Amino acid sequence: MATSTLGSILLGTTNPERLRDWYAAALAPGDGGGGFTEVTPTMFACTFGDTSLLIDGRSDVVDKNPEPGRVILNFHVDDARATADHLKALGVTWLVELEEREGGLFGTLVDPDGNYVQIIELKE
Amino acid sequence: MTGADAPAPETPPGGRRRARRRAITLESGAPDRAAAWYRQALGLTDADPLLTAGGVELRFTLGTADTPTTVEPARIILNFHVDDIRAAEARLVALEAVWARELERTRWGIIGTVLDLDGNYIQIVEPAPESPACLQRKEEHR
Repeated sequence: MATSTLGSILLGTTNPERLRDWYAAALAPGDGGGGFTEVTPTMFACTFGDTSLLIDGRSDVVDKNPEPGRVILNFHVDDARATADHLKALGVTWLVELEEREGGLFGTLVDPDGNYVQIIELKE
Repeated sequence: MTGADAPAPETPPGGRRRARRRAITLESGAPDRAAAWYRQALGLTDADPLLTAGGVELRFTLGTADTPTTVEPARIILNFHVDDIRAAEARLVALEAVWARELERTRWGIIGTVLDLDGNYIQIVEPAPESPACLQRKEEHR
């Protein structure tokens, strides 16, 4: 019986504060920093569903993700159109604007480090 | 925002529901082989129809990258929390995984780091009881 869980995903970055602020505003709205907690002065954490997102200031990455298609974070939302409107109001960079595909609504945006982030509303 | 250097957007008013992350997509030169590797690494069996770890599905797509392995493995690291880290280690040893860091006791718990077949870092973690709540093991959901 497997008992592994994807407990967290760590994003390595040269600018953890900027990335934290972006994710807080885009996907983790709320009071007091959007739900992020400071684990260390250069590491911030926020829980999405059953998984935490860790933003870690590191020196072994460059400013921009050289291969953003390698790993894509998929955020499932209840109302993709409302989320997209919110993201548009924030002025985020879209790789692919929200569109209907087989299976649901999908949109891909780019975070300040160049990572690809998808928002998804699956059809029931 | 037309450039990624634009300032971070302001935090919106509260009240919206936070997004949930339920899937992660990994690009691979050999997605079927990568999926099989993860199934073994995570200890999934034929009785587990979906490739999931907790409430998160792992999806693999055919890669388009210029390089066969990831250029920056520290860019995105997947942390798999396990309840028996020695068993998890044994599965990775059986797969002849390349270790970037063998099991090590840290302030966050026992952690080991390996490269998957595409050169991404994945970590197995047995969190320490005193770790922050956000780093603790989550209950498994299927």
